[in-house]
Amino acid sequence: MEELRYNEFENYLKNELTEIEKTTFEEKLQSDADFKQEFEIYKALETSLSSKFENEENEQELRKTLTNLGNEYIKEEEVTKKKTKVISLFNYKKLMVAASIALLIGFFIFKNGNPVYSDFANHSNLELVVRGDSNETLLKAQEAFNAKNYKTAFAQLTVLEKEFPNDIEIQLYKAICLLELDKFPQADSIFNSIGEGNSALSTKATWYKALSLLKQEQFKACENTLKTIPESAEEYEQAKKLLKKL
Amino acid sequence: MEKKPHTDHIYIEALLKNDSRILSKLYEKFSHKIVAYVRNNNGNADDAQDIIQETLVTIYHQAKEKNFILTCPFDAYFYLLCKRRWLNELKKRGTNRVTIIEDEASIKDEHKQEIEETELFEQQNQLFESKFKELGIKCQELLKATFKIKSMEEVAKFLGVTYGYARKKKSQCMGKLTQLVKNSNEFKQLKDF
Repeated sequence: MEELRYNEFENYLKNELTEIEKTTFEEKLQSDADFKQEFEIYKALETSLSSKFENEENEQELRKTLTNLGNEYIKEEEVTKKKTKVISLFNYKKLMVAASIALLIGFFIFKNGNPVYSDFANHSNLELVVRGDSNETLLKAQEAFNAKNYKTAFAQLTVLEKEFPNDIEIQLYKAICLLELDKFPQADSIFNSIGEGNSALSTKATWYKALSLLKQEQFKACENTLKTIPESAEEYEQAKKLLKKL
Repeated sequence: MEKKPHTDHIYIEALLKNDSRILSKLYEKFSHKIVAYVRNNNGNADDAQDIIQETLVTIYHQAKEKNFILTCPFDAYFYLLCKRRWLNELKKRGTNRVTIIEDEASIKDEHKQEIEETELFEQQNQLFESKFKELGIKCQELLKATFKIKSMEEVAKFLGVTYGYARKKKSQCMGKLTQLVKNSNEFKQLKDF
């Protein structure tokens, strides 16, 4: 009797029941609480074990990466502690200076007329290179971008894109370079495709699409794009600020 | 309803893709705080490294199996998960010394929910795994083969049995496992069912 029940579970999950059998099965799920509970467990076991065994090799690979990183960052932690503190203080100071300059400029510019692209285009630094990384192209791309040398950065990022075809961050920064170089159609098409996707960078791409429209002085379109940025997004505050000026 | 991923969802994507570049950013940014916590609470750097790794592997599995989407900042989410895992570990080791209890009020409710989801996912997995090990060796082998190979015909060939037998055995073993899970004490504490 019990055995029959599990066989039925199996057939249902594999979609191997006839329409009539399926209806009877689903009715039983509704009416028989014990049957339903066992089915839920059976189903959860099936998903869980199949995912676990399918990904066994990948898990091992991931563990190797994590062990290496752990050895590198956690064992070294004591040594680098001091250094990090100094850097962050330095960054903090830099930030304060930048903020007060921005405030001053803002004070003069925002008084009249339409907002300007350069007031809002504060690109966060490209951080592709991490400790222990020896990829020459990554380093070059990063240095060029952060030094606002967008032409070189664009060339390096194009090379990198071939190496890491799935890396959305690289695509986004490539598009930012294009935007800085006034190559709008190319830039916009990348912002659009990332913006429509479901990656973690999609709202950031939408924000940049708005910036691109701003630079092209298409204020109405810019406004409409900004309105699609949800309140929960990191870019929302900036978007709100820009909307006010439009 | 489709959830909107937080910008920090890149770390989840990086776990799925085994992307060492982004993962090292993760270690660089988030590991120090956890190491400090473990050290202050009867542990050392090696313990912290284990805690961090196991937490990340759990998140990886949750993302693979359940398409987990991170909708809150990774920092608080990850820190709290590691912290609770360490407190559990201390309990297991029988350390009775008082540990620092920190204020968790700064964590928003919606973030708590994500943390609980991950913890529930792990409890369930641990239960399934431990009950799987209670099965006879024949059942374990057969199930492992079914989940790895997928096609029942090939499983039968691989195990040197007939297709009908392999099928019947699979649902029998799964039934046995269902019973083991259902009758366990841990199961009664899981809210999901």
